[in-house]
Amino acid sequence: MNYLLHIFIMINIYSILALSLNLLVGYAGLLSISHAAFYGIGAYIGTLSIMNLGIPFLPSVLLAVVGSVLLSFIISIPSLRLKGDYFVLGSIGFQIIAFSILYNWVGLTRGPYGIPGIPRPSFFGLTIDSIPAFFIFSLLTAVLCAVLIYIITYSPFGRLLKAIREDETAAEALGKNVTRCKITAFALAAGFAAISGVLFAGYMRYIDPTSFTMMESVYILSIIIIGGTGNLSGPITGAVLMIFLPEILRFLQIPDSIAANMRQIIYGLLLIVILRYWPQGLLGDHKLK
Amino acid sequence: MSILELVGVSKSFDGVKAVDSVSLDFSANKITALIGPNGAGKTTVFNLISGFLKPDEGYIRLKEKNLNGLTPFRIARAGIGRLFQDVRIFKEMTVLENVMAAFDNQVGEKWWVPLIEPFRVKKQEREFLQRADELLQFVGLLEKRDDFAESLSYGQQKLLSIARLLASDTEILLLDEPTAGVSPAMVPQILEVIISLRNRGKAVIIIEHNLNVVSEIGDWVFFMDEGQVTYFGLPADVLGNAEVRQAYIGL
Repeated sequence: MNYLLHIFIMINIYSILALSLNLLVGYAGLLSISHAAFYGIGAYIGTLSIMNLGIPFLPSVLLAVVGSVLLSFIISIPSLRLKGDYFVLGSIGFQIIAFSILYNWVGLTRGPYGIPGIPRPSFFGLTIDSIPAFFIFSLLTAVLCAVLIYIITYSPFGRLLKAIREDETAAEALGKNVTRCKITAFALAAGFAAISGVLFAGYMRYIDPTSFTMMESVYILSIIIIGGTGNLSGPITGAVLMIFLPEILRFLQIPDSIAANMRQIIYGLLLIVILRYWPQGLLGDHKLK
Repeated sequence: MSILELVGVSKSFDGVKAVDSVSLDFSANKITALIGPNGAGKTTVFNLISGFLKPDEGYIRLKEKNLNGLTPFRIARAGIGRLFQDVRIFKEMTVLENVMAAFDNQVGEKWWVPLIEPFRVKKQEREFLQRADELLQFVGLLEKRDDFAESLSYGQQKLLSIARLLASDTEILLLDEPTAGVSPAMVPQILEVIISLRNRGKAVIIIEHNLNVVSEIGDWVFFMDEGQVTYFGLPADVLGNAEVRQAYIGL
């Protein structure tokens, strides 16, 4: 039972990550490969706030969100001058820098040793101290994030992001402040990714920088490419599929050493097939160009 | 009385003067045509007016306000709208969404407003929806409102761009070749829309290669050649000028 709940908890965490990245990729048309950086920044700020500063859980979540949003400006303001492939490279650059800082600033993050013993989330006298409780907590958090993202995207703001995705020159000629919108989309995506990070840290009770690598960013991007972008159902479907897939391999009795490689091959094949035959993903509205 | 004026505006690219000391003025209630051979600098003038290029010399004034240095979105907000030669519609959005996205001062475009004041946003959306339907009716696309914009014919896409431009409610409309690439059957419908915009008090500025269109709807014509305005006047006078005909169509 706990095994299944663990899978569902991971689906909840990755759903938030996928939905938030979808704000950038599916709505604003910004192909970013730096989402794991904001996920990690959120996890570390939240954890360090709780463990080093003794700040309670909920204010720590808030700090993680604010910190991640502020850091998002570092990438969004200069890199939004870049277009297309150059923007992608810029985002990879930020991802690498963020990982290097998490890995090498040993005095603060303990670097490769990671941070063990992270306390369980605790608020209003309630401690989330069992896997079933964490499942409910993560589900409620994911639903809350999905509702917020739904309201934000199915609004004139979401429509404006789509217009910018379609043709930013035309949007600008209609009097729309394209740069501000993109910066806002980046900040929102970073904020929601930080929530996933704090959730992940509270669940695993241990974090180290290897959970927030560029491969992780690619993995989150793969989720929304496979599930689809431009709506809410695509990213959630992608998260369910991509989290379940390796678990299915587990039941095929394949040795771990082979299963890990097979997983990568299956992800790669899935990406190629989806991009070739369903450029909008399984349930998406927007074709990635 | 002129609403928009360019005074001594120049723009060079790699030492080549694309626009050379051009002075133009445009009035409300008038359709002004900018004509000239390819490479004469007409689209560069549009890019300068709409802020996508910055003039090297001279200034551009909208009702006495200097537009030099303003970003394109600020120029659009000041009252200058633009129809691009290559339409630039939002293809993966519906016809209705294209128009709805264009309205100015949308409270819901601030991301937090739909979260904290949803009813205010809904109320404004209802008003915009009604206006969008009126604009789609005006350009004859109401029955296509829920279709994706990419499914429209090229002529319909031009009409959609015009509806979108009208939603942004600008006083000055820059229309870059509004009839180019459009099926001949659709041209009269587009011209009718342009004439009614002039009659609504807009200053309409068109770049047009079809001289029949210019003589049919134009109130005033500027002829450009090699980055300079060489002739201007009433359509019949400019189009009848032997040097214009020689430079433009080799007659």
